[in-house]
Amino acid sequence: MNALDIYGVTYSYGNGTENALEDFFLSVANGRMHALLGPNGAGKSTLMRIATGRLRDYSGSISVYGRMMPDREALLSIGYVPQPISLYTGLTATENLRFFGAMAGMPGDRIEARSREVLEQTGLAGHARELVSTYSGGMQRRLNLAVALLHSPTLLLLDEPTVGIDPQSRHHIYETLTELNAAGMTVLLSTHIMEEAQRLCQAVTMADRGRVIYEGPMSEIDNLEKFFLEKTGRGLRDD
Amino acid sequence: MNGKLKELIRKEMLILLRDRQTIMLLFLMPVALIFFLSLAMEGVWTDKLTGRKIQLVVKNESSSSKAKLLAEKIKNNPAILAIQARQTDNDLILADGKTQLVVTIPEGFETGDSPVVLYFEPSIDAGYKIAARSLITSLAVEVFMDIDNLEAVMQSLIVEKAKPNRELPTPLQQTVPAYAIFAMFFISIPLSIGFLKEKNDGTLQRLFTYPVSTHLVTLGKIIPYYLINVVQFVLMMLVGVFVMSHFISHAFYLGEHPWQMIPVTLVVAAATTGFGVLIAALGRTQEQASTLAAVGTVLMAVFGGIMVPHAIMPVVLKKAAVISPMYWAHQAYLDIFLRSAPFCGIAPKLIVLTVFAGICFYIAGRRVKWI
Repeated sequence: MNALDIYGVTYSYGNGTENALEDFFLSVANGRMHALLGPNGAGKSTLMRIATGRLRDYSGSISVYGRMMPDREALLSIGYVPQPISLYTGLTATENLRFFGAMAGMPGDRIEARSREVLEQTGLAGHARELVSTYSGGMQRRLNLAVALLHSPTLLLLDEPTVGIDPQSRHHIYETLTELNAAGMTVLLSTHIMEEAQRLCQAVTMADRGRVIYEGPMSEIDNLEKFFLEKTGRGLRDD
Repeated sequence: MNGKLKELIRKEMLILLRDRQTIMLLFLMPVALIFFLSLAMEGVWTDKLTGRKIQLVVKNESSSSKAKLLAEKIKNNPAILAIQARQTDNDLILADGKTQLVVTIPEGFETGDSPVVLYFEPSIDAGYKIAARSLITSLAVEVFMDIDNLEAVMQSLIVEKAKPNRELPTPLQQTVPAYAIFAMFFISIPLSIGFLKEKNDGTLQRLFTYPVSTHLVTLGKIIPYYLINVVQFVLMMLVGVFVMSHFISHAFYLGEHPWQMIPVTLVVAAATTGFGVLIAALGRTQEQASTLAAVGTVLMAVFGGIMVPHAIMPVVLKKAAVISPMYWAHQAYLDIFLRSAPFCGIAPKLIVLTVFAGICFYIAGRRVKWI
């Protein structure tokens, strides 16, 4: 069974422009790390929003571990790392984890135990009681990941998780993702960094203007950046 | 309580209470306004309610016994405060600024050849001028016509009665509920900014990737601000009763039914929270929301008798005041403090505020965009 199956999804933001997604399909095999690549406007973030249940008025179907979305259990099997650093900066790391853990329906003692684990895993154990507003960009990105891991999801959706951080934090996130994947977690990684995708992922889906333009194993691609530019063109995407 | 709702409230409270600017806006600003504006208004109230003494300088230019008696009667009258002048020229006396009236008893007053001269500062208040002229006239008549006590004679002819004061509150009765309400409406600023910040930074989007309903998130936003509104009012009352009484001579009389503050405050807090939710739903950016909230609150205060007491507003503005929910809230408190009204007398104002809250929540519910 695949962790995530997206069949023929079409979505429009309803402002008279073209569809953000057009007959989109994507399958992420269980236990795989799968890259989702595309230039700006490809529909990657829209796909993430739909997969996490935030956009509903789409046609087509999405299933997570065989459960048709939207579904409460399916939602709880997903860990989502949004592109913006979506944390309460007026709270500490522990308080953020406690809050999102409660929203996931976790009991208090489980939140406490898992908080310790994910803070350790993301290298933030020593800063657990500091306000997030005092964190560096890299620390905030790592906490962004920690929150997504807190409720022990089996499918991790990452939307450009390493934007704007130093090489040390980026490297730490790569190691964490590799360890998680090795432990059986399925990962869908949306990114603009080709080196990141080629280094971490076993499969790749490329999208452009809301449509899938390539899907296949990463092992078949020698130079991902060159391949990507061949598929999507070298013209600027400012529109 | 639902565990998720408890955590939503806890999160909101922690963020709010750690924000010093918000705390200053919601708690220190109204305390400062109550303190300074109560003091400022006390002078106005002293004039209006208890009457200021007429300050004047008496110049007696006659050596007759009647002139001396008139000078003595003026100086000893309880409504008059006679001031010693260093200057002799009337203009120089008035220029000193200590008085606005010089009374000159001239040579020949006792024979009726020369009248008493009242020399007024031109900027004197008209009512004050009439009162001073009336008092000096009656004292001059007493002396000139050898009447022992004209006031006693007049009492057999004229009886003075006044309607009980149910309109003009004392400084604390005016400012404490007024600025408590003002501050309660200011909750719309942190509420709307907090909501838009969560919407823009993605935390709200992240929240909805968990099995959480919009109703629960809405309640998690409303309840903390509602509670803070109630705390604001209680704090302002404590300041009014226990602190301001040391600085203001007029006691803060709470009326015969002070318990009625409980239902009134609960309804006012619903109206203020409703306004905040409406601003949060209408604002597109944090800047837009804070401007809308601040301008809306100040305008409601101006029209609602918060900044200028409703009782002394011009008739047109008095009629226009009904468009401001702050008017209804303030008048509900004045019903308790000033008029000792029964609950059924206050209920119509509470109904207006409840309808206002309902309209705000309804429009907000229709207009809000969560993502």
